[in-house]
Amino acid sequence: MHTHIHHLPQEGAHLASQATKLKVLIKAIWVLNWFNSCGFAELVPMVGSRWDMERFGMIITGTPRHADVLFIAGYQTFKSLERAKRIYEQMAEPRVVLALGSCTMSGGMYWDSYNTVKRLSDHLPITMYIPGCPPRPEAVFEACAKIFQHVKEM
Amino acid sequence: MAGEGTERRRAELLGRIESSVGAEARVASDGTAWISVPKEDVESCLAVAKREGFDHCSAISVTDWPEEGAFEVTYHLWSYRGKVLLTVTTRIDREEATVASAIPLWGPSAGIHERELHELFGVTFTGNPDLAPLFLEGWDGPPPFRKDFDWRAYVRDTFYKEDDPRERSYWD
Amino acid sequence: MSEVTGTETMREGHRAADGFDLYFGPVHPGSGNFGVKLRVDGERIVGARADPGYLHRGFEKLMEYRTPMQNAVLSDRLCILESLNWNLVHAEAVDRLRGTDVPERARYIRVILAELSRIQSHIIWYGVLSKALGFDTGFKVAFGYRDYVLDVFEFVTGGRVYPAGYLCPGGVRRDLPEGAKKRIEDLLAKMETMLREFEAYDSKTIAARCRGIGVLTLDDALRLGATGPVLRASGLAVDVRRDAPYEVYDELDFEIPTRQEGDAFARSIVRQREIEQSIRIVRQALDRLPPGPLPPVRPKVAAKIPEGEVYVRNEIARGEAAVYMRSVGENRPYRCKIRGPDLLHMIPVLEHLLVGAEVADIPAIYWSLNICPADMDR
Repeated sequence: MHTHIHHLPQEGAHLASQATKLKVLIKAIWVLNWFNSCGFAELVPMVGSRWDMERFGMIITGTPRHADVLFIAGYQTFKSLERAKRIYEQMAEPRVVLALGSCTMSGGMYWDSYNTVKRLSDHLPITMYIPGCPPRPEAVFEACAKIFQHVKEM
Repeated sequence: MAGEGTERRRAELLGRIESSVGAEARVASDGTAWISVPKEDVESCLAVAKREGFDHCSAISVTDWPEEGAFEVTYHLWSYRGKVLLTVTTRIDREEATVASAIPLWGPSAGIHERELHELFGVTFTGNPDLAPLFLEGWDGPPPFRKDFDWRAYVRDTFYKEDDPRERSYWD
Repeated sequence: MSEVTGTETMREGHRAADGFDLYFGPVHPGSGNFGVKLRVDGERIVGARADPGYLHRGFEKLMEYRTPMQNAVLSDRLCILESLNWNLVHAEAVDRLRGTDVPERARYIRVILAELSRIQSHIIWYGVLSKALGFDTGFKVAFGYRDYVLDVFEFVTGGRVYPAGYLCPGGVRRDLPEGAKKRIEDLLAKMETMLREFEAYDSKTIAARCRGIGVLTLDDALRLGATGPVLRASGLAVDVRRDAPYEVYDELDFEIPTRQEGDAFARSIVRQREIEQSIRIVRQALDRLPPGPLPPVRPKVAAKIPEGEVYVRNEIARGEAAVYMRSVGENRPYRCKIRGPDLLHMIPVLEHLLVGAEVADIPAIYWSLNICPADMDR
């Protein structure tokens, strides 16, 4: 697994300049976290000052109605999947679903569990996957940079 | 690990329990004590343990022995004063899987373990007023932790596609 | 045993004259991935029923299909908030069944990492409690400091949050890298600075919102199965590290912070004092660390676990953790029961504390228990 560490100031500058190029971005991206399971753990530091997602205009919102991006972080059980679907339905278009973690792609570490969802794409339309177990904050940032690109094209 | 005083007190404590219960306790090399009783003596054995200071019910567990047609129920008890771990084990019939609840002795701290075991193994703890499902919603399969429910086969047949080249390996 | 609790009222479906149902969670910034069904009368909670299962993977049975080293890696995932602590309980269970003589240096490393994991877990607790109480600075400061600990974890184990079963059967996967001792000492100095910051905040914010809230009497704590800081804040000075010492805890000096009030504030103070004690333990362990080199553990897939059964208890950040492992002599465990503190804290204890409380106090009560749904559901 790739673990080289970016120097934050440079990385920030790179992403910030990319953002300024997105002139069509009229609204900052508001994120709804579906904090489901272990995959979410590296999202929390992103709210803090070291990784700081807010400088890219991303904040966490508590309600699906305000969200542009639904983070499905980590494995889903059949019980939690029902709630995830309901949240997705409540979001207004345009909406983006980011699936975080290996579990959403293939079942991950719990591939042989009777109660976890193996292929999230069978149940929800996924815009982008972020692999990892759990994905590092840097990986999430790279995905967010790609969302900006996606939003620009929406 | 344990000092001489602790070992002596533990031996006395276990001795009292052994004579009340009429069974011998085995002490393992790590100092934990294990006592086995038939199902009909479980309630009284646990009551003796509680009386002798085992005020903490750390866990209750079930082990499935399908070839022997039995479930083994284990009660893992800790005495804060005596600083001893005592496990009381018993075997119950796998078809008629019932045993008395430990709620009268340890209250909800025992009851919640029993509720989980009921869902996962199908063991009924008579006298426990709340054996409602705990983790699963709409599960109509067998009690999932039983040994005769093979997860790898279930998962392969339920979730994976044999004709998908990326998932073919689950059938090899 | 016939006390009428809100929980019983909920179960029997009785309806209060003008109460209504409120569902707290599972998509709620204050609850995480767990829900509680509440029956509310005005501002007061009259019934509470926990709704677990959002994270249930069937962990215990997954372990029956895996070898001890695979389970060591899997054991990280019992609770991502303190993965090294869970590594340790599992590793000890296998070691005891195998009768392994774990090298002394490895035992010290285990204690150092377990205590750093405890510190890191308490930092998370402090951060989310602050956020839940509306104290955003506390949240940002806590998570800022936590990253220093994660950097050390990455340096030693390769992973920030998941150490890939670093504390494994046989000892630790590999020795501390060169420079680790200095990095850990620097980290401890930062942790002390952090504690002083926390102390400065206490009188103004956390105390005001937590005093007298969520009082758990000692009798209730024992009856409902509370352990760890929750039990110690209700007045019982017990700790597995002292009462049934494992690894090298019997060679180290530390106190067991205890309070009598049993309220959310008491639990808060206990955890902050525990960070102090953990710093103290790590310093002693670094001083006493036997010299290396320590060869890495090289597991063999076919290596069997001798027939037998063990019940191993550890003191993790949230309370008492235990593993009951039964082997029939194969290279996989026959049964692996996992006892976590949170099944008790999130169901009997939480339901009991919520009944009679006010809706506005839910975050303080909930987060003062420092719960982890992952180790409840497993």
